[in-house]
Amino acid sequence: MVEKVRTVTDVCCPFCGTLCDDLEIDIDLKTDQVVEVRNGCQIGTKKFYASNPSEHRFEKPLIKKNGELTEVSWEEAIDKAADILVKAQRPLLYGFSSTECEAQSRGVELAELLNAILDNTASVCHGPSLLAIQDVGASLATLGEIKNRADTVIFWGSNPVHAHPRHLSRYSDFIRGYFRTDGRNDRYIIVVDPRYTHTAQIADKYIKVKPNEDYELIQSIRAVLRGTDLDVKEVAGVPIEDIKELVERLKSANFGVLFFGMGLTQSLAHHRNIETAIRLVTELNDYNKFILIPMRGHYNVAGANQVFAWNTGYAYSIDFSRGYPRYNPGEFSSVQLLMRDEVDASLVVASDPGSNFPAGAVKNLFKHPLIAIEPHKTPTSAFADVVLPAAIAGIECEGTAYRMDKVPLRLRKVKEAPGESLSDKEILERIIEKVKGKLGE
Amino acid sequence: MDEIKLKIKKNLKFPLEADSITPDNFAGKTIAAIKKLPVYYATKKMTIGDFFDVSGKSTEVGNTKIIMEGDLSNVKRIGEKMTGGEIEINSDVGMHVGNNMSGGKIVVNGNADDWAGAMLQGGELEITGDAGHYVGSAYRGFWQGMKDGVIKVKGRVGIESMLWAKSSKPANKWPTLYCGSADAFLGIHNHGGTIVVEGDVDRCTGADQAWGNIVVKGKVSRLLPSYKKVGEVKEVQLPNGEVIKGKFIEYSGDHTIKKETAGRLYVAA
Ligand code: SF4
Repeated sequence: MVEKVRTVTDVCCPFCGTLCDDLEIDIDLKTDQVVEVRNGCQIGTKKFYASNPSEHRFEKPLIKKNGELTEVSWEEAIDKAADILVKAQRPLLYGFSSTECEAQSRGVELAELLNAILDNTASVCHGPSLLAIQDVGASLATLGEIKNRADTVIFWGSNPVHAHPRHLSRYSDFIRGYFRTDGRNDRYIIVVDPRYTHTAQIADKYIKVKPNEDYELIQSIRAVLRGTDLDVKEVAGVPIEDIKELVERLKSANFGVLFFGMGLTQSLAHHRNIETAIRLVTELNDYNKFILIPMRGHYNVAGANQVFAWNTGYAYSIDFSRGYPRYNPGEFSSVQLLMRDEVDASLVVASDPGSNFPAGAVKNLFKHPLIAIEPHKTPTSAFADVVLPAAIAGIECEGTAYRMDKVPLRLRKVKEAPGESLSDKEILERIIEKVKGKLGE
Repeated sequence: MDEIKLKIKKNLKFPLEADSITPDNFAGKTIAAIKKLPVYYATKKMTIGDFFDVSGKSTEVGNTKIIMEGDLSNVKRIGEKMTGGEIEINSDVGMHVGNNMSGGKIVVNGNADDWAGAMLQGGELEITGDAGHYVGSAYRGFWQGMKDGVIKVKGRVGIESMLWAKSSKPANKWPTLYCGSADAFLGIHNHGGTIVVEGDVDRCTGADQAWGNIVVKGKVSRLLPSYKKVGEVKEVQLPNGEVIKGKFIEYSGDHTIKKETAGRLYVAA
């Protein structure tokens, strides 16, 4: 029988922060298209299929001419992009979380060259976690350790059943580990959420917290842990008896872990929620081993933070306007800068601020010249002046990505990118060369 | 006092960073030399003369008063690290006004943007309007913010004001904030700072306070559950010697830090 497909094994899934590394992809030998994805969850699988050529994918560089995106040569598109960036007085480079680390470090290089503002999507997801960690540190572990040891698992403001579908079966819940030989039966799962989510439905204990009162709840847990008899009868809708019971449960854990998501980082109090959660975890270490892990969304947003930090000292919201990196979320973070209309040109890499930034920020983003390095048609690329078609990292080019627990994994190339697409790294390198030429360096 | 007048002559599209505008930098310089001091606009390094009309004269720091006119709402870092003299700003002012100052006085006749008086080490900052977030706070990652001096804000202060304030009894340093009203997380991580609020405050006042005093003459929108009622008092004595008369309920906290704590929150009874 003649082989019709070739199979690539041990493939990392470049979708969510779980970064599963056991996928198997079948590629049709004739068409070089993905025909089968094994082991992946629905959303991860979908990303592989979406890489096949379709009306949604860009295959050639485009420039907006007379209001229409028109196909041009790479040379012309790169020249135009470099021109926009060099002429801008306050350019913003944003995105980077859905691409690999080498492309991210080229982003840093370009930002430094342009004295630009450099930001990644942590700015609108787990930035608060980074601020909190900066204030009070954090006790962390790898997911492997959790799989083998954790007997008490809390999901706070996070719904992995939908957002990180294989997290529960690979690391945190059902999986059997070295010391947790009976898998799910060896673990006590607690879910804290205002909604009775699908994750809450499979938990051993569900705690319904009133929206935006997470901070008060964690503060009272900490006070009870200190042995304080509180004046109040309930906090955030949770009776004090339940809080006391929870504290006893946490104290008696062998190895506990707190996973938290955007329900905690992006509800009122933001980084302070995380800070008090970190402190709770630290204080629980007086009794046992307890750690916490942010449930990162984009598969390599953790990598973006790492790469930016080892290059500039800061994980996100970095300003090079004075020639050296400075950092101050709120002052130099993308949304706030755009809201104040302080940016006069933007380059967006592997991200779609057009569909998830607040309306005021998006309006100002679209008002000024915009360059999108992007494989697919998105609301952002629809309004771009220059579209540079990218190969999808982890499917059409290699690279490194950091899992949510900051373990770096190698991404594989399983097929060729359609049309004239280039990797994010190569596109950024070409822009850097052009910009250098224009700046006379 | 010798006066130097600065009048802004341009409309700003981007913020202007003017950390060179301090009595320390101006003292003893000619007008021509002052005009040559650097400011930063977008990605460009420019000079004070590019943006301001400058007049007057100055001799020494303590005797120098800078008076600023025109729309300064997008001018950042005025008075950064100043050690003496005075600045009078007759406009709204941009971020970081008076950050890290250790002496002298700044008066803002208008509103101030975020980070006003951040990391204050001494001196006095007065704002006649409202102030933004992080008034008198520690910058990101610092565990000790305002260590001395006084900030007075007539109107409202934004969230997380006086973050990580730190007093010192041996050095007789008592960082103090007076304000009209306040947003959430006032005095969070307080380590000895004093805060007096004429009106109401929002949630989470005094979160994680280790020690220090917060006096609220109005209401607290949502008291932290980790604070406990101690009793009622007829007056509050502040560490700087000041006495505030009136009936207050005394709370201890934040009990997240310690079971027995010297942190106090007084709310009008
Ligand atoms: S859980 Fe995340 S990384 Fe794993 S297959 Fe699904 S989307 Fe991909």
